[in-house]
Amino acid sequence: MKAIRVEHQGGPEVMELAEVPIPQPKPTEALVRIGVAGVNSIDGQIRDGRLRAVLPFIPGQEGAGVVTAVGGQVKTVKIGDRVAWSGALGSYAEYVVSPEEHLVPVPDSISDEQAAAAMIHGLTAHYLVNDAHKLKAGETALVHAAAGGVGLLLVQMARAIGARLIGTVSSDEKAELARAAGADEVIVFTRQDFEAEVKRLTDGKGVDVVYDGVGKATFEKNLNVMRLRGMLVIYGMSSGAVPLVDPAKLSEKGSLYMARTTLAHFTATRQELLARTSALFGMIAEGKLKVRIAKTYPLAEAAQAHRDMEGRKVAGKLLLIV
Amino acid sequence: MKAIRVKQPGGPEAMEVVELPVPQPKPNEAVVKLGASGVNFIDVYFREGRYKAPLPLILGQEGAGVVTAVGSEARSVKVGDRVAWTGVPGAYAEYAAVPADRLVPVPAEVSDREAASVMLQGMTAHYLSHDTYPLKRGETALVHAGAGGVGLLLVQMAHNIGARVIATVSTDEKAKLARGAGADEVILYTQADFEAETKRLTGGKGVDVVYDSVGKTTFEKGLNILRPRGMMALFGGSSGAVPAFDPILLTQKGSLYLTRPSLGNYIATREELVARSGAVFGMMAAGKLKLRIEHTYPLAEAQRAHRELEGRKTTGKLLLIP
Repeated sequence: MKAIRVEHQGGPEVMELAEVPIPQPKPTEALVRIGVAGVNSIDGQIRDGRLRAVLPFIPGQEGAGVVTAVGGQVKTVKIGDRVAWSGALGSYAEYVVSPEEHLVPVPDSISDEQAAAAMIHGLTAHYLVNDAHKLKAGETALVHAAAGGVGLLLVQMARAIGARLIGTVSSDEKAELARAAGADEVIVFTRQDFEAEVKRLTDGKGVDVVYDGVGKATFEKNLNVMRLRGMLVIYGMSSGAVPLVDPAKLSEKGSLYMARTTLAHFTATRQELLARTSALFGMIAEGKLKVRIAKTYPLAEAAQAHRDMEGRKVAGKLLLIV
Repeated sequence: MKAIRVKQPGGPEAMEVVELPVPQPKPNEAVVKLGASGVNFIDVYFREGRYKAPLPLILGQEGAGVVTAVGSEARSVKVGDRVAWTGVPGAYAEYAAVPADRLVPVPAEVSDREAASVMLQGMTAHYLSHDTYPLKRGETALVHAGAGGVGLLLVQMAHNIGARVIATVSTDEKAKLARGAGADEVILYTQADFEAETKRLTGGKGVDVVYDSVGKTTFEKGLNILRPRGMMALFGGSSGAVPAFDPILLTQKGSLYLTRPSLGNYIATREELVARSGAVFGMMAAGKLKLRIEHTYPLAEAQRAHRELEGRKTTGKLLLIP
């Protein structure tokens, strides 16, 4: 089969198309013919060495396709099922094997493109507004990178809940996208100070919750824009890791809460994974959630997809069509 | 009137009994004839100069008594009302002038001594168990220093909610007290490792919330015994302040939450102050919250009260009686 292989970590150019054997499923695994693979920032972090990897490896954690073989003990999927997944390394390829419990069914009303585009970003947005901090109608949320992959979906979900949403973005073009997704207020942080703007927009009261995938660059100011007993949910670190935190600061700034979350802990059981994906696919099927696919690439052009992702010029999801 | 005054910060001997005029209320104040004053560690910090206040200073942050005079703009109380307060200095005296909006009504079933005992510790236990992390029936909480002033009250409230309570204590005598308050399990941390014990007692699952006033010596292990998405409520630092930490620890230990609350942020409005104190007094009046008033001292013996508090031999509340 064709696959993208990385033999040593580095820039996008280390991803090369190679011919490798089709993997064989273990007794509790299924083999999936991939239709579409999602491109995520974590793929770049594994590719360039910010995260560790066993070499050589096939990148990619997310995709959608059809089951073509199952191990002897597999119970939850069968040959011919349409499935999607996140967290299975090796998705930049024609086939991947995955533990059966990581595969979720994809309804007919959802295309492979939509399913692959929604798994990581959509599930993340879903757990953020429903579980990490259960957003309620009438609350105000600040969402950083509101035109990013998670951001655009989070804004739509927050809107559907009835919360007031303030987004930060880097350009006017992205501001339009965030507004179209339902953001009530948009701050272009490259020319406006988000701390001052959020205080102004909330009459000095601050927001109930901050959803932050940016990390280092926004942390200190985040502590100044929350109401008493407000919640900071950090779910990523696109600007770098948050430095050491003195817990006393949370007290001084108003008995604040902070969480540092990751998707795996919000899809830890099969039951939770299925419930969350089913809710997500339901919203997409009903037209309540628009997944913005920025660009698709043939598998062989994975390196270009990474260049575009890391150039931060795209708003929405990048996909590899296998 | 008699009052306990500090001219120069220092040891217990820095507190002297002085004769002063009865204070007159400012327009927004009421004057209260004290029936009892609570003795708290924060008084020691002010006496030592660790916390700064203008000198000379009348110590004491918590008391109960009867209103004897009101300022022209004070609306919330009238002469003859039985009241209590916390967070305003000047309670080690026969009379104190207090902003009227910080005074809460004391019901007839609750004595001055009982009211003065619970303003700080009782409302702290209340906000921790009802707001910081609203405990639910069937959940499990770990309470450090389960026989301490806040601890004994927190254990009772958690038990009354229907939660399972695991308490840590330093001695067999304190273990008995914690059990008597309703702790389901008690760990003598001087003899057993509380991390290993808590894991054993929860079948490896961990607790829903850790209420920690100990700080430095317990923080990291506390993160290890929380279930995924559990809450660390750090509300004090009797062993020293928790040093700055890497927030990625919260991710690695299971998408955990951290908060560092303080009472002031949980009684920030008059409405909330009255509701919270009313809830605590209601529990007392209903016989659902037992106080342990260990010692009462005449006002003039404040030095002895501080010596015994600092000796850490006491397990209940100390009061000064004017």
